[in-house]
Order: sequence, then C-alpha cells, then structure tokens
Amino acid sequence: MKCTHYERWLWDDLEGRLSAAQRQELYAHLQVCARCQRQRDTVLTTYRTLHALPRRRAPEHVVQQVRTRLQERSQTRAIPAWWKRVALAPALGLVAAAMWWGWLSMSSNEERTGVATKPSPAEESWVEIHEQLEVADWSPTVSYFIKTGYTR
Amino acid sequence: MVSSIGRHIEVDALSAEAVLIERAQARDEAAFEQIMNLYADRLYNYIVRLVGNPTDAEDLLQEVFLRAYQGLPNFDGRASLSTWLYRIATNLCIDHQRKRARRVQTVSYHAAEDEDGEPSEWELPDTQTPDPLDAALSRELQQVVEQAISMLSPKLRTVLLLYDVENLSYEEIARVLKIPIGTVKSRLNHARGQIQKQVDKYLRGESI
Repeated sequence: MKCTHYERWLWDDLEGRLSAAQRQELYAHLQVCARCQRQRDTVLTTYRTLHALPRRRAPEHVVQQVRTRLQERSQTRAIPAWWKRVALAPALGLVAAAMWWGWLSMSSNEERTGVATKPSPAEESWVEIHEQLEVADWSPTVSYFIKTGYTR
Repeated sequence: MVSSIGRHIEVDALSAEAVLIERAQARDEAAFEQIMNLYADRLYNYIVRLVGNPTDAEDLLQEVFLRAYQGLPNFDGRASLSTWLYRIATNLCIDHQRKRARRVQTVSYHAAEDEDGEPSEWELPDTQTPDPLDAALSRELQQVVEQAISMLSPKLRTVLLLYDVENLSYEEIARVLKIPIGTVKSRLNHARGQIQKQVDKYLRGESI
C-alpha cells in the first residue's frame, strides 16, 4: 500500500477506529518508513493542538441582553391586551351611555312640554309647497309624508 | 460499572433538558435562561471561530438565542437541542458572512477554496488578537492551528470545528448541516489535511 493510504489511517488510529489487523499493519509500516513516522508526529501534534484549543467563553452580558430583549418583546405584545381590557370596555360603555342619554333627553323634553319638536325651515317649506299643490288638486307622495312627518 | 454510571448521568441530563425544553416551550423565561446558560459558551466558542470576530460573534449569539426562543414551540425534539442550536448558529453565521462579503471588500487567499474548488467569500479574521493559552501547548503552535482554521473554506471550517473542537459526532454534524455522513467525513479529511500541512511547515521551521 502507498504512504498516502497509511496517512489516512494515522487519524483513524488516534480515534481508535482501526481494527487490530489494520493497526498492526500500520505500525509495521511506520517502523520502516521515516516519512510516515514524521507524518505521524505531525498528525499527533495537530490532533492534540486542535483538541486543546482554548475555549472562548461567551461574555456574561449576552444572556442578560437576550433576556432584556425578550422582556421588551413580551411587553410590547402585552400592551394591546392590557389596553383592550382597561381602555376599550370603558370606551364602549361611554359611547353607549352617551347614546342612551341623548335618547332620554329628547323623549323627556317631548313629555315635559307636550309639544313635538318645532319643524325645521326645510320642513316648513315642504308644507308650503304641499299646500300650494293641494290647491292645484295634487295627491301627496311618500316623500311628502317623510319630510313633513305625515301627521301634519 | 463506570460506563453504567456515565449512562445514568447522561440519561438524567437528557431528561432534565427535556423538562427545561418543555417549560421554555410554555414560555417560561427562567427555563429558557437556563438553556442559554447551558449553551452560551459552547455556541460562542463555535461562532467566534467561524466568523473570526468577537463582536460579531456576540451579536450572532444573541440572535441564535432569540431565534431559538421564537422557534422553540415548533421544536419537536427529533434532533437534540444542541444539534438544533448548532444548526441555527451555522445558518446565521453563513448568512452573516454572505451579507458582510457583499458590503466589505473580501480578502482573497489561495487556501480558501473548498473541496469543490469554489472560492470562499469569507474574510480572513484578525488572527493578531491574543488568545488565552493552554498551558500544555505552546502559544505559537496554537496560533498556527488557529490561523490554519481561519484560512479554511466555510464548508471545511464548519465541519472541522464541529468535530474536532465541539466534539460532535459524524451523525450529529450530518444532521446540523443536512449533508450525508460521507460528505462530513470527506470534508473533515480535507480540513485536517490542510491544518496538518501548516503544522508540518511550522515543525520544519518553514515560513507559513
């Protein structure tokens, strides 16, 4: 076998991946091949250095910063839910109360005075037109009843 | 006996991790923080060597954790948590380097071709930054190896770091990178061969 083949085995040998027979063959070759012996030293040095490289430690503030960013995210997500509960319900209540108050005040005004609301100038003019048309023997239309309030 | 105890410890650690994952999936931030503390150093050590810049590595580590937190509800446990985290880190680093390569003029170097002959678009990291040293090995030799790693193509560097520095198995690396085990082995051989050449030159007193 060629030296390049044994060179590949050098790494496998370090990791215990060679069979007993392969190992025996490799060591027999190493005894007679100076080139492969030197390669073995290089592989061993490379392997040891690689596995002993200093571990870089993560700066402590990284975890802290991630925690802060996660909290910020959860807070921005929490605001709409909080807003819905605290602000939306009272807002809807206020609208309902305003509508109810408006309706109540209009009906109580009519009850108190016993008089219907005074017709607007537009309604007045519609009545005038109708009276003129009545003279001309005209029959009232639906729009007439709507505009004048029918009872008149 | 010893291996049986070792297996028990491993099983206990795995089940403890499974509990942590479940809690973190339920948005328990304390549990997620424990996961971060468990993996921060391992991931940082990997990322910093992959991108070659501590500041970028810090930002990327943060991004890995944010993505992990976001993706945890979909984590189904088919791969281990570490495999999953390494995958997120690898993808982010590759994206980061691609973006940076578009912005910054890249440094070209002959050794930065992968086994497919594709030129790398990664930048050479600043290897002048002093590293903490392992007392057992010389500063010079470590620097030679660190520099040789930084000159590898991204594909080779990723596999070498995961296998020889992070101690992942072939199977785990195949899952992280979504490549066949045969490709993992072939890339590892290429990567080791290139590192070995640089170490050989150094041992023979040649200029690197």
